[in-house]
Amino acid sequence: MTDQLSSTFAALADPTRRAILARLALGETSVTELAEPFRMSMPAVSKHLKVLERAGLIARGREAQWRPCRLEAAPLKSAAQWIEEYARFWEESLDRLEDYLKKMQAQTHAAMPAKEKSNANGEE
Amino acid sequence: MQMEKSSPVVERKLTLTRILNAPRSLVFKAWTDPKQLAQWWGPTGFTNPVCELDLRVNGEIRIDMRAPYGTVYPMSGAFREIVEPERLVFTASALDANGKPMFENLNTVTFEELDGDKTLLTVNVRVLWEGPEAGPALDGMNMGWKLTVDRLEEYIFGL
Repeated sequence: MTDQLSSTFAALADPTRRAILARLALGETSVTELAEPFRMSMPAVSKHLKVLERAGLIARGREAQWRPCRLEAAPLKSAAQWIEEYARFWEESLDRLEDYLKKMQAQTHAAMPAKEKSNANGEE
Repeated sequence: MQMEKSSPVVERKLTLTRILNAPRSLVFKAWTDPKQLAQWWGPTGFTNPVCELDLRVNGEIRIDMRAPYGTVYPMSGAFREIVEPERLVFTASALDANGKPMFENLNTVTFEELDGDKTLLTVNVRVLWEGPEAGPALDGMNMGWKLTVDRLEEYIFGL
């Protein structure tokens, strides 16, 4: 099976392509309009668009002359979800580590002679 | 579906940092003493009924995380580097119902001393490989997510 997530991340590895996606997040647009802020030749922009299209991150309209580009949310959503899962695990673990260390130090302080207690404000 | 190991085309990684108000020797202990690790490992509300660490290079790690709603998520791994009190490198995998790993991460944790009594903790997570089952497994720990390209950049590319 092809690994959708890996091709998403590969497509996202390039800053120009991320900028293109950021622009498309605002709404669909033509290739000409997309190319403007990047000061790139049309073929260069087209190359990036092809990578994004292959990764399923954008779709291009079939209508007439100006095949508008638009963002395809699903693969980006999977990538974001992947990151969120990991980030959540670690952020919350580290929150708990912080609390744990605080409690442990408070206990250690509580067991010490009075002069050491200045910073220990009994938890719970 | 086959359990093919696919190597990511682009490194999927994540870096988190945290300043902890505790001396580094204490923080290092909290990571390497199984009794202490069990107190904080995992998302909010999780407990760790099994937490075994064989603290030496290639020593095994076995943790069963139990979610607040009762589901147990077993995981295993191994230590790759132990430099007390500054660096810890270990692999970690979530296991499926048959005890087979669904993916493998390499975690690098560094402990830096700050102002004598604080610690700058850096956790770097890199995906070594992911099987096709990893998606649903991660979905199991599902929660709300916010999508912005900025957030993606912040986490993947460290901008």
